[in-house]
Amino acid sequence: MITITINEKKITLEKPVTILEAARSAGIHIPTLCHEDILEPYGGCRLCLVEVEKVPRLLSACTQYITEGMVVRTETERVIEARRAILEFLLINHPLDCSFCDKAGECDLQDLAMKYGPATGRFAEGKRKHPESYDDPLIVRNMERCVLCSKCVRMCEDVQGASALCITNRGSKSYVEPFSGGRYNCEYCGNCLTVCPVGAIMSGLHRHDYRSWLIEREVETVCSYCGVGCSLLLQIRGNSLIRTVPKIGRGLNRGLLCSKGRFGYDYISNSERLDTPLIRRNGELQPAAWSEAITHIARRLKEIKENHGSDAIAGIVSGRCTNEDAYVFQKFFRGAIGTNNIDSVASLAYGPAQRFFERIFGQGVTANDIHGISNSDGIFVIGGDPTGINPVLGLQVRSACKKGAPVVVMGYAEGLKRFSKHAFITNSTTETVLLASLVSEIKKKKSLPGERPVFEEIISGLQPVPLKDASEMSGFGLNDLVDTVDTLSNMINPSIIVGRDIVQTSTGHMSLLFLAALAYLLNGRIYLLSELPNEQGLLDMGCQPDMLPSGRPLTIETFRTRCEETLGIAIPSTPGLNYVEMIEAAHAGRIKALYVMGEDTVQGLPDRNYVSDALRNVEFLVVQDMFLTETAQYADVVLPSLSWAEKEGSYTNLERRVQLTKKAVEGEGIEEWKIISEMSKILGLDMGYRSVTDIFTEIVRISHIYREITYNDITSGRCMWPYKGGPLRHDVHIEGIELPDIVSVMKNADESGVQVRREAHLFHSQNASRYSPALQSISPEPYVKMSETLAGRLSLRDGEHVKVVTEAGSITLSVHRDPCLPENVVLIPPFEKGGIFEITKWKVNPVTKAPALDGNRVIIET
Amino acid sequence: MVVLNQKVLEEINRIKSKYHDSRSCLLPALYIFQREYGWLSPEALEAVGEILNIPKATVKGVSTFYAMFSHKPTGRHLIQLCTNVACMLMGGERLLDVLREQYGLEPNITTPDNRFSLVIMECIGACDTAPAMLVDTDFHGNLTGEKVIDILEKYK
Repeated sequence: MITITINEKKITLEKPVTILEAARSAGIHIPTLCHEDILEPYGGCRLCLVEVEKVPRLLSACTQYITEGMVVRTETERVIEARRAILEFLLINHPLDCSFCDKAGECDLQDLAMKYGPATGRFAEGKRKHPESYDDPLIVRNMERCVLCSKCVRMCEDVQGASALCITNRGSKSYVEPFSGGRYNCEYCGNCLTVCPVGAIMSGLHRHDYRSWLIEREVETVCSYCGVGCSLLLQIRGNSLIRTVPKIGRGLNRGLLCSKGRFGYDYISNSERLDTPLIRRNGELQPAAWSEAITHIARRLKEIKENHGSDAIAGIVSGRCTNEDAYVFQKFFRGAIGTNNIDSVASLAYGPAQRFFERIFGQGVTANDIHGISNSDGIFVIGGDPTGINPVLGLQVRSACKKGAPVVVMGYAEGLKRFSKHAFITNSTTETVLLASLVSEIKKKKSLPGERPVFEEIISGLQPVPLKDASEMSGFGLNDLVDTVDTLSNMINPSIIVGRDIVQTSTGHMSLLFLAALAYLLNGRIYLLSELPNEQGLLDMGCQPDMLPSGRPLTIETFRTRCEETLGIAIPSTPGLNYVEMIEAAHAGRIKALYVMGEDTVQGLPDRNYVSDALRNVEFLVVQDMFLTETAQYADVVLPSLSWAEKEGSYTNLERRVQLTKKAVEGEGIEEWKIISEMSKILGLDMGYRSVTDIFTEIVRISHIYREITYNDITSGRCMWPYKGGPLRHDVHIEGIELPDIVSVMKNADESGVQVRREAHLFHSQNASRYSPALQSISPEPYVKMSETLAGRLSLRDGEHVKVVTEAGSITLSVHRDPCLPENVVLIPPFEKGGIFEITKWKVNPVTKAPALDGNRVIIET
Repeated sequence: MVVLNQKVLEEINRIKSKYHDSRSCLLPALYIFQREYGWLSPEALEAVGEILNIPKATVKGVSTFYAMFSHKPTGRHLIQLCTNVACMLMGGERLLDVLREQYGLEPNITTPDNRFSLVIMECIGACDTAPAMLVDTDFHGNLTGEKVIDILEKYK
């Protein structure tokens, strides 16, 4: 216990903290410009100077730690005089252009100058001049206003790990600049915007659009981009969303955001948004009234059900839908239509991976706290770039690395290049072999812990793959692999981060087994990267062809009857088709009606031609979306949907945190659950919901994993299932897992030629980002990444255009050379035009039923 | 991209191996690049960052802090002339006139034939032999106008 006196007030603290923290805990305000809780104490701005008894000079409160009996005064004449002097120095160069500076009204320097500052300066010479930089599409820099607190640079380096900013030159000519001096070319997390105390670094999106005091309302909600679910503050004026800002220290992101959360909000005001239902008449989509569209859909579904049976109808849900919408959708399909043909985008990778791990380790095994990653002593990343897919989760990896944890990466991870100790980029089959080899070597070094005898039998039965063979096949040096095995074996509590690329191959099911073995041998926690905000929620809500809400198999009669009794509906006992099977069935003409809620199927699956053909084959296609997507263009009825900021609901993030999204602005349209309830009523099932709260109450009633959660309980970031410690299903179903014949995979693998793989791109997350002008402006041109050797052999320079040809098609892309890539791999992100799915063949993994992207050989024509 | 010659790479790696942290090797590496290429182009800064696994922005921040690194192309030979108090008293500024007349040199200017660049220094620590200058890394003291011309004739 340490007792100090601040401004004649006695304060007792348990830990030695800084004077600043002590004062703030007692409600005493000390001004700062360079201090930020998330950053290390810096002591640069000198505004937090305080007087400490028995110390002759003034001390900076942000760097001085308290000691027993310290007597501090924060607002004496001497302190105020010192602050005034510092402000006078700062104002020598700071232009007094508050009248047209966007920061005015929320500017720390302005507030301080009002409180302490001299009314006039004594400095007669001119101010320094530095032109405002508009070179960047999103960030405007005005270095005349900069007070060199260096918060942006420290944020960028210490927290974000991007290190895109630096202070160039010195003395009065010091400026904060990105490397190029103009464009940032960085990750555009915008965290420098959050911390800038003055108007030196500002967002270009709402420049001169409003003044900070004109913001009328603030709504705290959850981001709509990825499975992390960061807290966001939406600032609204009238009915328009002015900007999104984080709240330092709030939510699981603790005040950090990524480019998508910070700049990607503008899709909701995109002029291309649909505002009225469309019905196809005489081959053309024409506007229609809501009631007409709903009745039309209900009538057609009824006809098809009568003529072709319930199982000719299928539904697909997008990961952008809220828990409530997803729940009502599956209830509509099971109860009103009478089919289990209901699936979601989660089944493309996230679902199968989770299902596999839960089968071995029990339900909830991938429910791990994101912040745990930064405390692990080693990280194994496979199948995706966490800093691109779930950027705020990716920061935890970088943070762990800075604390000394070795990072081993398999697959391409742009954002971890500087952080990884070992990185292996190969073709997907080689990846599986490499993984198998690592497991068989680690198995030799580590003894089996004996916790799960049945699984240990499987591990012992795995075919050994000598490192030498893996080295020969992959081209990586044997020493490198031996080092990696050592690094991995020395990890005590590693985090294993799994992305979708590992699942979406024809050997994906084997890779999952090896990964499970690796996790078991290393005692690792598994994290699944989730590209959409509610993939976990979709699985929990029962948007799966064989699972009821809360992940209970419908083939087990007790579960099914309990659900039927609680809801008063009949649920068919045979599992339905999953997403990929639905498309195949539609292609074969077995699916007559398809209802797609919020998903752009054509853009989300390999082989656009195959999927387009399948959709054309469907007799009646309903698409509910914000935009007229490529899928919507094939539809018979298109219903506009509301964006995440225009409706109430809840999202469940990848760590099973249930969070509320709130209505911030009024949108043109009707909530999904209302539309579906209406249709359901026409089809004879009256769900009787009046609000989302009603739906949530029902979810809680039938789902053991959401037990006892009340809708009002879910304050941001506090509510993780199993809420209030309810038991999870611990039974595991290891029976039936086939031992992979990795030796013959190795023997038969044909890794000749150059294969294309998908790059999960930070700015192109394949969904809403496509409609965000801000995100599109960062790197709009579709590209192909290739190795230096390959580019050198074809004598291609950066930015040159080439034609990339596969069996499935060809696209023209610009070249990005990347020295980290091997010669036999090229990467293409899922761009809307010129994306990877235009040149991949339709292929499905037979076990996980996820699409497989491997084996697409490319020829590059110059 | 700077065409890295093997010698430079080896030299940097040799220095790098002496330190626990590659950041310690940043200034020596920048010196080597400046010596080899005459100036530090953005590509050179990027290359240094890549060799040492340091973010390129950090490299830029460090290199622009120090006056001894040039971020503009310089001539084949860099003249660093001191005009601080001791050298000024001993006629350093007259040498500036000589350079101006003889070679058309001005401070921070490179001759059209790319032979010389001139930088005015604030004390090179040679007050005992003032006026003094550095040509590349060679020191010359007790200068007079004729002596300067004689010396510079050796640098082609």
